[in-house]
Amino acid sequence: MTQTLLDKRLYDVLNAVALKKMASAAAVAEIVDLSLDEVRGIFTELEDGDLVALMGETALPTDASGPVLVDSAAAIYGPLREDPSVLQVADKFEEVNSRFLRTMSSWQQIEVGGRKLANDHTDSAYDAKVITTIERLVSRLEGLLEALAEKDARFRTYVGRFERSLGKVDAGDIAFVSDPTKDSVHNVWFEFHEDLLRTLGRARKE
Amino acid sequence: MQVVAEGFNAFETQKSPKGEVKFLGSPKDVIEVVRSGKLQDYILLVRGGTTTFLTPALSMGASGVITMSGAPESHLGILSREFQIPCVMTAYLTSSESRYAVGNTDDAHFEEIADTLVGKTVQLHCDDAEVGRVSIVS
Repeated sequence: MTQTLLDKRLYDVLNAVALKKMASAAAVAEIVDLSLDEVRGIFTELEDGDLVALMGETALPTDASGPVLVDSAAAIYGPLREDPSVLQVADKFEEVNSRFLRTMSSWQQIEVGGRKLANDHTDSAYDAKVITTIERLVSRLEGLLEALAEKDARFRTYVGRFERSLGKVDAGDIAFVSDPTKDSVHNVWFEFHEDLLRTLGRARKE
Repeated sequence: MQVVAEGFNAFETQKSPKGEVKFLGSPKDVIEVVRSGKLQDYILLVRGGTTTFLTPALSMGASGVITMSGAPESHLGILSREFQIPCVMTAYLTSSESRYAVGNTDDAHFEEIADTLVGKTVQLHCDDAEVGRVSIVS
């Protein structure tokens, strides 16, 4: 593979691998509009082009994948990057993201006498309050997700993933708040944040 | 205990991992260390709290992490707590005046830390509520 710009199918698969940092073909097939066999075929194509490294069934992005994704996103999302309907809502994301990160930390740790202790989740009232805040913050992404999905339908997958993970949490499976080994709210949020930055060509703030 | 670096403690833990400091600067470095089968022998040094390419190393069982920027509330801080991997964040050398400042830190700051720590065997001490410490073992 010698081209520096990916077509949309290859971009979607490589982007999904880069967002997840390591991903099986099955995991990628769940979030792109392609069959498992198609994703496996694209994995091989991307490996031939040194854009992913395969470890068994799992793909990891290579160093070369970064600039190729940046250039391809600029080509694919050029018009979107100048669309006021997207930019107006996107500009508000960073503030919501900061609140989300603080809320996620308060889910993991509670302050007792100025000292942060691991949340052992025995205080159901405290947990319920944090979960309510998380749900409110996720709901604040609706406008942005809708604006993006009108330009690229794959952004709708985030809506479904948030609904599923929050549904699990509401049903009592609180691991779906932040467990990195599940499609937790934190994982979905984090992937969306990275996806948004790449789509808009923006840099992550430290 | 000869403390050579300090920083924010991502979470309080009695775990005190030891290992050779290895700098991971890119996805390629992560792939190499995961493939080496020696991931747990290392304390991983990365530049930032938003160094998201580190995730595979965390999920594959890294034993300890030092970052040169970023806060415990960052994505990496959240992940370190989820995986219970001790993590000293925005570490600075106790022998140096140089400190990280958001948007105002030149490469020399990061290079000084990397030059001092990489290849050394260190131990992380994360039993304090706020401060994480790095001591030299050899």
